[in-house]
Order: sequence, then C-alpha cells, then structure tokens
Amino acid sequence: MNILELHDVSMIYGQVQALRDITLSVRQGEWLAIMGASGSGKTTLMNIIGCMNKASLGSVILDGENISRLNAGDLTAIRRDKIGLIFQQFHLISYLTAVENVMIAQYYHSMADEKEAMQALARVGLEQRARHLPRQLSGGEQQRLCIARALINYPKLILADEPTGNLDETNQSTVLDIFHQLHAEGSTIIVVTHSPEVAAHAGRTIRLEFGRMLDDSAWKETPPDSGS
Amino acid sequence: MNRYAMFSKIVLSSLARRRSRMLVALLAVGIGGTVFLGMGAVYYDIPRQMGREFRSYGANLILVPAGEEASLSLEDAARATALLPAEQLIGATPFRYETMYYNMQGLTVAGADLEAARKTSPYWQVEGDWPRTDEEVLAGLDIAEHIRLYAGSSVTLEIAPPEGRRFKKELRVSGVVRSGGAEDGFILMPLRGLEALLGNPGRANVVEISIAATGEQISLLAEEIRAVVPEVTPRLVRRIADSETTVLNKLQVLVYLVTAVVLFLTMICVGTTMMTVVMERRREIGLKKAIGAGNRAIIAEFMGEGLTLALAGGILGSFSGYFFAQAVSLSVFGRGVTLPFFLVLLTLGASLSVTILASLIPVTRATDVEPALVLRGE
Amino acid sequence: MFMRMILGAVTRQKRKLLMMACTMALGISLATAMLNVMLDVGDKMNQALKTYGANIMVTPRGASFLTDLYGVEEGGGISNKYLLESELPGMKTIFWAFNLVDFTPYLDVQAAFSRENATSLPAPLTLIGTWFSKHIEAPTGEEVDTGIINLKSWWKLRGDWLSDNDSEGAMAGSALAAKYGLRTGDRIVVETADSSGLRRNASLTIRAIFSSGDKEDEVLLVPLLTAQTLAGLPDKVRRVEVSALTTPENDLARRAARNPHSLSRQDWEVWYCTAYVSAIAFQIEEVLTEARAKPVLQVAESEGAILQKTQLLMLLLTLLSLACSALAISNLVTANVMERSTEIGLLKALGATDMQISLALLAEMLLATIIGGLIGYFAGLGLAAVIGSTVFGSAVATKGLVIPLVALLILLVTLGGSLPAIRLLLRLRPSEVLHGR
Repeated sequence: MNILELHDVSMIYGQVQALRDITLSVRQGEWLAIMGASGSGKTTLMNIIGCMNKASLGSVILDGENISRLNAGDLTAIRRDKIGLIFQQFHLISYLTAVENVMIAQYYHSMADEKEAMQALARVGLEQRARHLPRQLSGGEQQRLCIARALINYPKLILADEPTGNLDETNQSTVLDIFHQLHAEGSTIIVVTHSPEVAAHAGRTIRLEFGRMLDDSAWKETPPDSGS
Repeated sequence: MNRYAMFSKIVLSSLARRRSRMLVALLAVGIGGTVFLGMGAVYYDIPRQMGREFRSYGANLILVPAGEEASLSLEDAARATALLPAEQLIGATPFRYETMYYNMQGLTVAGADLEAARKTSPYWQVEGDWPRTDEEVLAGLDIAEHIRLYAGSSVTLEIAPPEGRRFKKELRVSGVVRSGGAEDGFILMPLRGLEALLGNPGRANVVEISIAATGEQISLLAEEIRAVVPEVTPRLVRRIADSETTVLNKLQVLVYLVTAVVLFLTMICVGTTMMTVVMERRREIGLKKAIGAGNRAIIAEFMGEGLTLALAGGILGSFSGYFFAQAVSLSVFGRGVTLPFFLVLLTLGASLSVTILASLIPVTRATDVEPALVLRGE
Repeated sequence: MFMRMILGAVTRQKRKLLMMACTMALGISLATAMLNVMLDVGDKMNQALKTYGANIMVTPRGASFLTDLYGVEEGGGISNKYLLESELPGMKTIFWAFNLVDFTPYLDVQAAFSRENATSLPAPLTLIGTWFSKHIEAPTGEEVDTGIINLKSWWKLRGDWLSDNDSEGAMAGSALAAKYGLRTGDRIVVETADSSGLRRNASLTIRAIFSSGDKEDEVLLVPLLTAQTLAGLPDKVRRVEVSALTTPENDLARRAARNPHSLSRQDWEVWYCTAYVSAIAFQIEEVLTEARAKPVLQVAESEGAILQKTQLLMLLLTLLSLACSALAISNLVTANVMERSTEIGLLKALGATDMQISLALLAEMLLATIIGGLIGYFAGLGLAAVIGSTVFGSAVATKGLVIPLVALLILLVTLGGSLPAIRLLLRLRPSEVLHGR
C-alpha cells in the first residue's frame, strides 16, 4: 500500500520552476532517500511532502487523502497527525527543556503526557538529559531530541531534511542507527540529503537535478535494505 | 498533564528563560505604565493643588453686612462660613475697622483674627514679629514711615470708645507689615485686643474668606449663604475669583495636552518595542507551525505571554508612577498626591491593551507566513 | 566595504530601521515639544497672570496715607501732591520698558450729582478720571495704546467702553447705579467745589454700567481730562497703576526691596538688570518726579509663587518624558541589536574584529536614529505650536537651546541603547550563535 503518491507535481516561484512534473510513490514501511545537489529542488520537494507548501501543479495524496487543494489550516492539522519532521538545524525551542520540547508536540497534537515523552527520550538515549535546555545539549543530542519530538505522535511518515548535516561521524552513525531501528519497526522514512553515504542506508534512492527527477530505475541496482 | 498546565508552562518558560529579551519588553511596558499613572495622577491632582497655590492671592469671597447695617455679627459670619466645604476652606478672617487718633490725626486701626489673616493674606510681609499678645500691633509700612515706627517701638493712641471717656493707651509695635495695598496705611491688631479697648465685641465690618474653588463654585456657595444667612451679604472678589478660573483653566488645558501627547507617544514607543521583540520570534512561530501548532494555539501562547508581561509591567509601572507623582507633588507643592484607585485600573488596562495590540499585529502576520519559508533561512 | 555594509543593512533592512527611526521620531518630537513648552511656559503664564491686574502702584512721594483710609473725607489733612500726566510716557523709556504691559493714571474727585432737569438734592459721589485706551507716544518714538480697558480685563460691562476724548461720557459702577437707579443713556449733572469755593459743573451721559467686584463699583468713571477739568487740576493725576511682566522674587530682590542702596555694586547691577518687580518699581521712580512706586505684593508675590510652581512642574514633567522616551528608545535599540546575534556571530566567524562589528552596527543605528531625530525635531516644533496656540492662544517661541539638547539626547540614547547590547553579543562565541544554541 502506498502511503504517499505524487502525480506530475510542479513548483513555480515566479519565473523559476523549482520542480517539474515529479511523479513518485512511496510504500508503507519504505526508507527512501532523496538526493541532489544544492538548488536541485530537494528542499522544495520536502516542503511539499511535509505539508509546509502547496504544489503549484499536480496532486499529492498522503495516506489516501489528496492534500494538494487543502488550505493552510487543514495542512497544519494533517502535518500534526501524520508527519514527523526532523531538521538539519534541529529547530528546538530554546526556552523549553528537552522533555518539554517533546511535550509541546504532544500538546499541539492532543494532550501533553510527560511519561510518554520521557519514554520517547529514553528511546533516543536522552532520558538523563530530560531537564536540560537545548543550548546545554551537544549537536548529536539536539538531533536525537529532534527525532524524539518527531516520533512522539506516531506519525505515518518521518521526514528528515539533512538530519546529519550538522553532525560529526559518531553522532551521524548514532542517528542513522535510530533510523534503522525505526525502519525495522515499520516506520516510513524519507531522508533528504546530499550525502551518498547517508543515502546508502536507505532502501531506495531517487535523484533530483534542476527540479527534475532522474529515472529512479537507474538506481534500482542499489539493493533494498542494504544498510540493515 | 492537562492542557492548561502545559500552556502555562510554555508561557512561563518563555518568559523566565528568555530573560534579557523579556526584560526589554517588561521595561517597555513598565515605562508606559509609569508615564500613564504618573501623568494621570498629576493631571488629576493639579487643579486641586494649583488651586491651593492660587490662594496666595488672598480672599476671593467677602462677607459684608446686609442692608444698611455697618457691621455684622461674628455668629452670623460663623454660620455662613460653616456652609463652606471644610476641606476647601483655607481661612476666614474677620476685620473690624475703627478710627483712633495719633497726635490728633485719625488713623484706621483694623482688628483682625491675625492667625486667620496669615492664611487669607499670605502675601503680607512682616518685618519683626507677628503680635503675640492682645496689646501688640502691626504697623502698616506707610504709617510706620510717616510716624517713624519700627519693630519694638511703641505708639500711644487716643481712643474714643462709643460709650465712656476718651483715653490714651500705649501699644507695642511687634512688627511692620508691607503689602503694597491698603494695609500699608493701617494699624493692625488682634481683634480681641481691639474689642478690649473699644467694647461692643462680636462684630466685624467685613469677613475675608479664602476658599479653594472655581469662580462658579464660589458663586453657588455665595447664593447658598445669601439664602441661609440673610444677615450677611456674600460678595465675590471678581478680580481674584475670575482670574483664577481663567488661569487655572489654561494650566489644566496645558497639563491635559502635555499628558495626552506624552501618553500617546509613550504608548506608541511601547508598542513598537513590543513589536520588535515579537518580530524577532518569527522563526519560532514557523517551527511551532511545522510541528503542528494551529494559528490559534500560537496566538494564544503569545497573548498569554503578553498578558503576563502587561500585568507585571503595569504593576511595576503603577508603583514607579505613583512614586513619580508623589515626588512631583512633594517637590512642587510640598503636599502628597492623592491617587484615585481607578487610575491604577486604567493603567493596567492601558498596558494590557497596548501590549496585546502590539503583539497581535506581528504575531498574526507571522502566522500568515508559511513555516517552510521561515525554517529554510539561515 | 564598511559603507557598503551599512548601506546594505540600511536599504535591505528597511522595515526594522524604519520602525526604529519612527520610534526615535516620536520620542524626539515629544522631547522637543516638552522642552520648548517648558522653556516658554514662564513667559506664557506670566501673560496669563496679568488678568490679576496691576502689580505696581505709583503714588506721589509724601502723599498722606490718609487718602486710602476709610471714612476720611477729602479736605483737612489731605496733601495736595500729584503726579504729572505729561511725564507718564517717559515710563516707556526705562530699562525694562518692554516689560510694562499696561499702565493707567487715576484722579479721584469728590463731587455731587443730580439727574438733569431733576429737582432733588444733589447726591455725593466719587468721580475717577482715567485713561481708557490712550494713544501715547514715548520719547523714544514708540507708540502704544494703554489704559484701563486692557488693565481691567475681568470687568463686566453693560454698554461700551468710553473713548478717551468723549468729554460727555461716563461709566457708572454697578453699586452706584443700583443705589440711584442709573441706567445707560441717563444724563446727569456733576458739580464740584474746590477748597477755595469755586464751583464747576459738567453734564454727562452714562454710556455703560460696569461691575468690577471691587471698590470701583461705587464710583463714576470718566476720561481723565473730564476729571482734571472738573477738579481744576490740569495735567495732574493721583496715582498710576502699572502691570508689568516680572521675574519671580528671590533673596536679592527682597533685600533690594527694603533698601536698594544697601546692595553691593555687583548685586546692584544684577538686581537693576533683572525684571524683578522691585527693580521695575525703582526705575519708574527714576523717571517720574517725586513719585513713589510700590509693588502690590498681593499680585507680585503670588505671581512669583505660581510661576515658580508652574515652571517646576513643567520641568519635572519634561524630565519624566525625556527619561521615558530615552529609556523607550534605547530599549528599542537594544532589542534591535540583540535581534542580530546571528549576523554578529557570522561576521565574527568571517574574521571581523569586535571593533569593526561595533562600528558597523553603531553607524547603522546612528544613521537611523539621526534621521528619525530630525523628523522628530520638526514634528516636535509643530506639537509645541499646537500646545501653545491651544492653551495660550499664541505660538510657543522656538528656543535654540533645544537643538543641542535634543542632539545630545539622540546620541546618548543611541549609544546607551546599543553599546551594552553589542558588548553582550560580542561575548558570545560564533559557533553558539550560528548553531542556534
């Protein structure tokens, strides 16, 4: 079953066409990497999938629902229920502690539950640091916290934008380990990256170039689940 | 944990852990509150305080005998004075004028309640001392120069009481009084002393009254006296009463305008500062939206912060504003300020509305922004 | 490069800097308006207080004090000393001539009057001759109109003021009119007798009834010439009331008031060249023969007290608004600088020295605040003019002193607002700032 389907999606900013006719489907439980150089349109694509932008043309079906014609408020609701976002710059709220940063996502979703938030922190190995403020955490810890926040509402789709872009090698492998674990548990993961090394962990990789998707069959030789 | 607990946690953490920024905002609201309450209190209190200052011009209402009578009784005068509001009454001085003779020349001797006269005629300048006993007198400057009197000398006056024989009496001059007016040509002495010399106590020719009130108010009071105590005729000293109304009105308009200008500009300053503080947080708003916050939740959080800030700043401002008004009042008028409670409420209300309004504008604009745009940039 | 950076910041961060300039403009307009009003409020209030009437009374030297007394009739024991009307324009030549707002002479005459064609016995009355709005030419060539119309602005009138050359007109005080049932338009005959027994009379028309709330309500007011003719005292006046703009009294003035000659030479000069009521009175004595000018303390003293209070009040209010606008603006500058932590971190990471960063930021802030301040200054002048014309009916004078004060304020506020914030930000490590902490 496909969790996500894109049909002929284009994105046009004024004169610039950031994305052209992207057609893509992602199965439930799949780990997909989107690769491309800077300016290839991968962030634009991620914003469309993550319900943060609407496509100019084409249709986007997320979990069986066509989201391409929804208004901003409905998009927020969908994002809240179905998507967990992980950012390169972590984007934590500076004045909330680690556990509160997780809880705020619960709060916007439905109900803040400290016990559950602590479990999510434990899952990424941060239970000892629950009462620390983001600036007291290292980069790797901040990213793990960001992942814990993304997972807390059991999203249908985990969307990560260069999750290891600001991390050193040790932290990168810690984060990737968590991704593998999530994948094994059946989560659907989409990682946007320019690093082939990170992309290599994914089950499937697509490439973007000047807003076009290169034939993803060309990458079929990458064996599925090569990293597990 | 229920929603409200989490909500207040978000709001309070934001306030407590972003200390320097919040201090900026708090300071801004506090300044607004200070100006609002301080100026408000000054504006509210000025006419009253200034009104008292204007009483240095002396009597603005006089009581004279009704009809063809030459004098009025002090009891009637007291009944009339009792009709005046006590907190506005500065003083009431009965004067009784009699003629005595010095070297066969007639002199006007005014008997007055000198304690009261110091309040109703604060502009008198006395060289020497005020009389302490009933046998001491003040000499008007012109008389003093004419017959060479000075503080400490004595003057022998020939007195012709209405009943009985003429007799001579030596009185001690305790001081020389200078006013630039009619008093310069009088001998002034305590009313009781004059009564002891001439008899016929309890009468006065005129009662000078100084009352802190506007011309219209005095006219109304005069009407009341006329109706209740027909034995005396109240007369408005128009030069004093009318001028006071004119000048005081100008002063009040001045303070009013100045207050309005200061308040308006300060509120705008506070507003722009709040806007800057909020504008800085566009990225945070974008992030919250990205992790699923609805516009309403975000606005509610900012309003929560704003409310807390406004209350804290308003209370802070009320205190410092009160101290400011107190300091102004003490240094200018030497009296404390009276602060009506509604002004405090008004200050809180103003700081609330300014803060809320100032944060609402940038927050609603920020919530219009798509989260993607906010998050991407760095 | 420095210039390009600043220009870039100014042109590309338009919104924020615009906001700062706006706030600055508001704050400075407030400061300018308050300072201008404060510096001028003394003069303005002084003018307003003129409604309290004359503050200097001029009488002939040696005139008996008895004239003022109740119950003492004209006649025995009354001296025959007078001032000369022809000398009065000379008052406009004294050092503080410009401060003499109005003055008017009086000549009181005891007379008897009866209605024209009436058979009843003449009733006694006091007649006072004065100037109404006399056009005089000072020896300096200056021309002024002065008289009782300006001086007694609080009088209430039924009918019109007399003119000075109306030899048949008179105005009756309300008490006099009530006592004898006089009405405007009534014609009366006034008769006087001087000490030698010579009788003079004149027939006059009541042109107006006035109410002053004072002793004048019992007299008949006529042009000075009429009174002089009736009394047979050409060119003579009994007293002159003067209304002058004065400086509040201080110790020096009080000492001088007792005896000007007791002052040291230096004190004397200070006193003489300050518009104290006693100094003006002294100067009047210098130009009028055998005159004695006395400050009317009821007016002079109170005026001083009220002026001082008003000025102090305005000073304090100005200080408050200055302090508040300074705080508010520097607060905003601080907020503005702090907002740019990332930029500062980046500049440091690129290798800029602390000095370079501070200078760039400062220059930018100064540019915005100076532009805002300039706009604010002119807006403030407008505000002051509005306040002046609303309250006092005349524009507030623009004081040059305000400009350096305002410039200083702008500089202090901008530096005070940005320096601590810049120092705070410079202490941050670039990595912290760039990685969002």
